[in-house]
Amino acid sequence: MTATRPARPKPAPSRTAVGTTRATKSRDALHIYRDESEARPDNPLRTGTRLERIPAPCIVVIFGATGDLAQRKILPAIYNLRRAGLLPPESAVLGFSRRPLSDDAYRELCRKAVAEHSRVKLEDGIWDDFVEGVHYQQGEFGDPPDFRGLEERLEQIDDERGTHGNRLYYLATPPAAYTDIVANLGKVGLDRQREGWARVVIEKPFGHDLESARQLNDAVMRVFDESQVYRIDHYLGKETVRNLLVFRFGNGIFEPLWNRRYVDHVQITVGEDLGIEGRGEFYEQAGASRDILQNHMLQLLSLVCMEPPIAFEADALRDEKVRVLRAIDPRWTEARVRAQVVRGQYQAGWSADHKVPGYREEPEIAPASRVETFVALKLEVQNWRWADVPFYLRTGKRLPKRASEIAIQFKQPPLMLFRDGTTNPEPNLLAMRIQPDEGILLRFAAKVPELGLDVRSVNMDFTYGSSFMRDAPEAYETLLLDAMLGDASLFTRADEVEAAWSIVSPIIETWREWDREVEAGEQPTKEERAGTLADVDGGEGICFYEAGTWGPEAADKLIEHDGRRWRRV
Amino acid sequence: MPLAREAATTRWHARASSISETVGQLTRIWGTAAEEEATAEADDASSRIKGRMRTSVLTLVVIALRPETAERAMSIVNALASRHPSRAIVVSPGDPDGPTTFDAHIYAACHLSPTSHAEVCTEEIFLKTGGELSQHLSTVIAPLLIHDLPVVLWWPDDPPFGSKHYRDLADMCDTLLVDSGSFRDDGRHGLKGLLETVAAGHAVNDIGWARLGLWRELLASLFDHPLLIAELPGVRHLRLDVARPGTTMRISKAACFGGWLAALLGWTVSRPVRETGGDRFAGEFRVGRRTVTVEFRPVGAGSGPNVPGTGSLMRVDLELMRGRAQTRARVTRQADHLLATADWNGAQVARRAGRLEPFEETPFLAEALDRTMQDRVFQMALDKAVELVGQK
Repeated sequence: MTATRPARPKPAPSRTAVGTTRATKSRDALHIYRDESEARPDNPLRTGTRLERIPAPCIVVIFGATGDLAQRKILPAIYNLRRAGLLPPESAVLGFSRRPLSDDAYRELCRKAVAEHSRVKLEDGIWDDFVEGVHYQQGEFGDPPDFRGLEERLEQIDDERGTHGNRLYYLATPPAAYTDIVANLGKVGLDRQREGWARVVIEKPFGHDLESARQLNDAVMRVFDESQVYRIDHYLGKETVRNLLVFRFGNGIFEPLWNRRYVDHVQITVGEDLGIEGRGEFYEQAGASRDILQNHMLQLLSLVCMEPPIAFEADALRDEKVRVLRAIDPRWTEARVRAQVVRGQYQAGWSADHKVPGYREEPEIAPASRVETFVALKLEVQNWRWADVPFYLRTGKRLPKRASEIAIQFKQPPLMLFRDGTTNPEPNLLAMRIQPDEGILLRFAAKVPELGLDVRSVNMDFTYGSSFMRDAPEAYETLLLDAMLGDASLFTRADEVEAAWSIVSPIIETWREWDREVEAGEQPTKEERAGTLADVDGGEGICFYEAGTWGPEAADKLIEHDGRRWRRV
Repeated sequence: MPLAREAATTRWHARASSISETVGQLTRIWGTAAEEEATAEADDASSRIKGRMRTSVLTLVVIALRPETAERAMSIVNALASRHPSRAIVVSPGDPDGPTTFDAHIYAACHLSPTSHAEVCTEEIFLKTGGELSQHLSTVIAPLLIHDLPVVLWWPDDPPFGSKHYRDLADMCDTLLVDSGSFRDDGRHGLKGLLETVAAGHAVNDIGWARLGLWRELLASLFDHPLLIAELPGVRHLRLDVARPGTTMRISKAACFGGWLAALLGWTVSRPVRETGGDRFAGEFRVGRRTVTVEFRPVGAGSGPNVPGTGSLMRVDLELMRGRAQTRARVTRQADHLLATADWNGAQVARRAGRLEPFEETPFLAEALDRTMQDRVFQMALDKAVELVGQK
């Protein structure tokens, strides 16, 4: 069946880095540096004011408006932006969901959500003003007539509030609904940018493997231009992650050290103390590699490794990030997976002061599930800057604490002059903590103040909390505002998503192959196990660890094999 | 002298009668704090205190000429301690003709951060000087500055621009913090002195300018409207109503606001403002071949608990004309907020409101301390303002 669509107006030409123009509705256009300034003329009186960058009024359309994400994150974020005066008062919200609700009932739902989840207390005066712009429209995601109703409602709100046709579509639904929503938006012409702009924000996961990511990207880009698509990874909205770029490219002293000559290795840890917290069904489909590795961790890796972009501009930044991912060898042979990747799953144990069940005993989990709750791996970025520098990545659930950090371990000095002291200084280390206690730590050697020449490692520690003493905005607030302003720097581009999947998909494929073999009663041969981590996991390709520990023994072996060890986070 | 520790608040206090003793007392306080932390950790492995840091992001020097100013400054410094941990030195110079005296009260406090388990510790030094020493404050303060941290000099009253005493202190600091709204008389000489300070290369943060922030933002936001932005080049008349609760008509804020519009809209001063009777001031800008008239008008400040101070803006009125289109944009002070409206050919097309901060210095000071860089727009506005009041 082919749907008839109204004729699409010719997309506006975008300015390229070299001054030529070309239509942007294709994958070829991804590398064009666009002029992303808003179409409206500049207001000279805005120069130097606190709100120099204020978005044009728009309607945020939340698909999945009654869902968990909308309630916990999106609505509080919009409210806080409005409260901080960062959104024009004409801005509006339109919830779209299956549940039959009146505007008033939805407003009440929103009030509860904001009161419960906002980082700042709900203030009645501001709320009353905000809630006037909140509306609700019932509809099925797969039903085109409901989208016609949506279109009419949006036009009505435009007229009432003066939002000038600017729309931000936020897909806060399960991923299965993405293609329907996007296709239906296209069918009724809501993707078009006539009077104002139309942008779509898509939550992760972007596909569940390379093939499905490609299909999703194709489906989205059949309707929207890449410049209208904002794939959100909330990690990129976190203050320390944004600061990583400032730290690297706003300081002159670190960049000369940021390469294979001085860096021994890099460790990236994303640890969670929680289990799967009632998300069993989701987790059985995802596992740690899809939930964390493919997106958050590879994003952190690319920010650490990227070359300086030619401009602090969305496509220039993303070009450099994607180059990093492409410099990682995506050819994962079975032997390489056995030697460089550890798949783990937690068993019963103690998390802080309470006893917790093993993964297989959690609700909605198959009793013989082989889904990974932990993954550790070694990667190499094969380019001139990083060749031969190993990157060790680990992430897991039910680890001893919630802690995420990037640690750059520098090489030892060429000559150890102070080896005779009672303690050997450790090599210099630069650790960037993402959560909790966001900050940066530099470790260096210092002489112990007494007679003799004892040398000890000391830390120079910068914490955001104590240096700035102010609340950082929630990642969602930052990213929503960026999307409204049309700044896609911290959103993931289609080619980035696919490049990340091309690294992770083959590993998952290999595991699935092993799972099939195990189910069929086959065991790896002695040759297959030789010199690999398989001798620790009993050959099954999955290692178990006790909840409340830093993952399976095989993860330690992975790094110890190279004469290094994991940092105690 | 013994250290008196206020246990419940983790606060220390000491007294000193010389600079060297002051420095010694500070060292003693931090030595004691570190020992206590070590003992607490040894006694209790689960101690909540995981690190006691003297945290400073700047040294704040306050020159408080009057006792009431010193008191006010100390309470503001206290309120800001957690957001802007610093070494605060509040100096209260006494009678220069009396005997030379030096009396320092040293306070240190550690607050447990709500988000991490680290304690953040700050210091306040309250110095009273007398006699000749009061004329050499820069030499008194220099040994107490924290190495390598920015120094912010806050002069809450009217600074003696042009004096050696002032220049020495300004030279020692990275940023100067003043309030042009509290400059003496009509404020013109103060603005001139401030511009000279800026011209000498000092970074200046003006609380008076910061108080205009909401006024500027609201007026600017009216012109975000696509219909109105096109009208902006057609400004014909600017009227500023200024609060005059007493007898003084202080025009420093009105001049800065007018200077701001002139700087961003490319106006040049063709006739500086002059008194035209009844404490009204009138002047003219020029842009291309067009004239923009400007008028400062005194109005009563009203009554109630939040009476605006002398020179505060009460209303900004902008008249624009382009072809047949007539636009009026205005921002008006209401009880606790500002209301901005714009009419286009008689019909209201935009309306904005913003809540005013209470009339105290703390939030503005906090904001000013956040910004240690030069504010380019302020410098441009000040330059035009000084020209507008005929001091250039």
